[in-house]
Amino acid sequence: MWKLKDAKEIKILGITVKPKNKIYWIEGVTEKGVKDLLNNENSKFRWLRPQRNRRILVILMALGLLLTSMGSYWPTLKTNLNLSTDVSLIVFTVTAIFVIFAMVLGYSFLRIAVRSIADAPDELLDERQIAVRNTSFRYAYRGFETIALAVILLMIIGPEVKMFQPEGNDGSYLMISMLFLGSSLPSMVMAWRERDI
Amino acid sequence: MSRNPEEPVYNRIEEARVALGLSRQDLADKAGVHYQTIGYLEREEYSPSLVLALRIAKSLNQEVSDLFSQTPFKKGK
Repeated sequence: MWKLKDAKEIKILGITVKPKNKIYWIEGVTEKGVKDLLNNENSKFRWLRPQRNRRILVILMALGLLLTSMGSYWPTLKTNLNLSTDVSLIVFTVTAIFVIFAMVLGYSFLRIAVRSIADAPDELLDERQIAVRNTSFRYAYRGFETIALAVILLMIIGPEVKMFQPEGNDGSYLMISMLFLGSSLPSMVMAWRERDI
Repeated sequence: MSRNPEEPVYNRIEEARVALGLSRQDLADKAGVHYQTIGYLEREEYSPSLVLALRIAKSLNQEVSDLFSQTPFKKGK
């Protein structure tokens, strides 16, 4: 059935009107964005689609998350590596900026690699895609639970870490990486598991 | 990803689609699904819901019972 939102543009009394692009605030996607990524004729970022490339992206993302979380233990690492204050400040700042930028980029690529299926609402997907998305969320939820438990154990038995510490181990990097993990894990699971996307 | 791997659903979608000279994309457009889903269905890696089975059968001018079966189809029939 033809729907108003499917029209590219409509002419009314000589005035061209473009239908509004629906924004799904909770899912963090737009209707046009998802439809563009689902369109087979859209050749943009096609190199991201093969499972091998998707899996490489997932590994890089996991390494980025690990590096970000290690930021929380930098004061302990710095002491163990015997770095001077100046050198450690430069190494830490450069690495932090690079890793966080790479994480944002990786997260965006990951969403593109799975055609935003992991984030899209039901009405933009078909029944198989909904099933795949739901399975990915189920695995991601269990995975997140396990990783969160490991982080809690690390905080209990590992070096002391406190939130927003100007001196000592600052837990905020651990928190940032957990937030990134929570939002990207369903896409990571989907990118890893699915043969064809 | 079958709905129930213990009870596979066999189909003749590819045969019927090719007979009509349709591409996977054409059938996907008619049935209102993504073209990858047609691929998964043809490879019998996904079993459709009743609604989708009916839509596909209608798109291919076939009866659901001619297109889907719980037992493998005999070749050439």
